[in-house]
This record gives sequence, C-alpha cells and structure tokens, in this order.
Amino acid sequence: MKDYRKQFWLGARDLLPLISGAAPFGMIVGATGISLGMSPEMVMGMTALFFAGSAQLAAYTLIQDNAPFIIILATAMVINLRFSIYSATFAPLLGPLPKRYRFTLAYMLSDQTYGLCSMPAQMQKTTAERVWYLAGVALTLYVVWMISVGLGVALGAGIPPSWSLEFTIPLAFLAMLVTTITSRLLFMVAIISGSCAVLFQLLPFNTGFIVAVTAGVGGGVLLPGLLKMRGASHE
Amino acid sequence: MSDNLQLWLLFFAVGLGTFLIRLSFIQLHGSAEALIARSKHILMLLPPAILAALCIPAIIFTRPLTAYQVDYFQLLAALVAILIAKFSRSVFWPVMGGMLCLWLLRFISS
Repeated sequence: MKDYRKQFWLGARDLLPLISGAAPFGMIVGATGISLGMSPEMVMGMTALFFAGSAQLAAYTLIQDNAPFIIILATAMVINLRFSIYSATFAPLLGPLPKRYRFTLAYMLSDQTYGLCSMPAQMQKTTAERVWYLAGVALTLYVVWMISVGLGVALGAGIPPSWSLEFTIPLAFLAMLVTTITSRLLFMVAIISGSCAVLFQLLPFNTGFIVAVTAGVGGGVLLPGLLKMRGASHE
Repeated sequence: MSDNLQLWLLFFAVGLGTFLIRLSFIQLHGSAEALIARSKHILMLLPPAILAALCIPAIIFTRPLTAYQVDYFQLLAALVAILIAKFSRSVFWPVMGGMLCLWLLRFISS
C-alpha cells in the first residue's frame, strides 16, 4: 500500500512541469467564456462537464456564431475523438478495474495523462503501480485545470482586447501540432487538413472543420498505398 | 443557441459524449482486441488533422474570418512559435514567444 501511495505522488510530481502549459490554457478558457457573456456558473459547469479545453474553445466560437446544436455537438465530438486513442492505450490498465474507478479514471483521461503514462519508463512498472501513477497524474491535472479556469473566470474581461489574447489559442494548437508530427505521413495529413480548412472556411457553422479533418485522415489512409503504386509503376 | 437551458443541454450532451469516447476501449477491453488493432492506425492520424484544421485558418486570417484578410504579423508570430516548439516540448514557451513577436511587430508598426 505504501508503495502504491508513492506511485500516486510520483505521478502528481511528474505533472508539475506540465502546469506551465495547462494553467495558462485554463485561464484563457475561463476568461474567454466570461468575455462571451456567459455566467461564471455556466463556464465552470461547462468546464467540469467537458474537461477538454480545445473542445470548449471551439464550442465557444460556434455558440457565438449561433450554430445549430447538432453542429456544435459534432464538432466537439470530432475534436475529442483523440481520447479514444488514449482509451485504447490504457484499456489493459483500466479495463479490469471495478466500475467506479474505471469510470472515474476514464472521465479524467487527458492529453497530459496520456503523455506521461505512456512513456517507456512506465512500462517497467507493475500494472497496479501504473494505475496508481496514472491516478496521481490525472487527479492532479483535474484539480489544476479547475483552479486555472476559475482564475480565468475571476480575471474575466479585465484583460484589454488590444493584447489579442485570443491569438494564444491557435498558437497553442500550433505548438501541439508541431510535437504530434513525428513522421512524413503525419506531416502530409496536417498539410491536407490545414489547406482544406482554409479552402472550406466559408462553409456555414464550421462544417469546413469536419470536412478538413475527414480529408486529412482520408489522405493519411490512402496516401501510403497510392505512393507505393506510383513507385511500382516507375520500375 | 443563446438560450441558457439549451446551452446546459448542449454541455451535458458534449460531456456525456466525451465521457463515452474516453470510456470506449476501456469498457471493451477483453472483447475487442481486433477492433482496437484495426482502428488504432486511423486514430493515430487524427491529432495532426484536427490540430491543423483548428489553427491554420485562425493564424493566416485576422478576425472576423469572413473578411479573408491575411495577417502577416500573425504568420511571422506563428513561424517563431514553430521554431520554439521544435526545441521545447512544452506548449507554454512557443505561445509566449509567438505572442511577444506579435506584440513587438504591432508596436514597431504603430
């Protein structure tokens, strides 16, 4: 038991350096919600229900545009589809747990948890140790996230618009994009999706976003086969 | 979509949907190994596709997006952010560097 508690706090400690990224992002999420005219209760409720910052920021834009319910829901779901990768990664760890722990830890899965808990160093630990470590990371991030959104809500619209703080959102996505591109294929996927997003951005209610993501993933699936075929015909 | 009740409904729907996505493979564990193996390849392509579609239009064009006004300062700031992101794994420093670049360019040109 003592060893497991140690793993929990080890997870909490390993998360600390990542706060420099999560906390400012959370504050932007909180402050942007308030600046759109939502009440503090609504922003905090939304944050607790989503526990997904990028989906929340995208939803803000669509709510402001008066997009239909189903479009906002679909966009948020597409953005959050990446969580299914994390779900697949941690299925052997979390699947056998009793329901209440399984559900709680699944709800708290995040980019940061995935990043820390799928590191090669973790693979040498026992399953129980890994679960406790994951719980430490996930719970700490949850607390940090809620506090930083709360701080953003408190700051509210106090930040002058001339600072263009909203530009931190695409910059943050861009920085994440650079770190996710680990192969030439993923680079191509990003190029296809990005150009489609620019081409189709005049489609109503951000549906261009869904088109772009579909095109990017479709390209990623088809390209390796197509390139191989072309290579073969040259020979 | 401005009615408060409707917004709460939306938040609950997204919250439930997100939870189900997170739970998906964990819940299926033990009964869907083949499905996981097959979908993992496609799922790996999602992050770059999503992130690129989210950030590239917002970086090239100034708000409101409907005006289609290319913003060169934002492009330069993004370039700085990319360079920093190549070296630091965190999200914080690229954002800081990009914002400083943007503020500096606007200050010089004003």
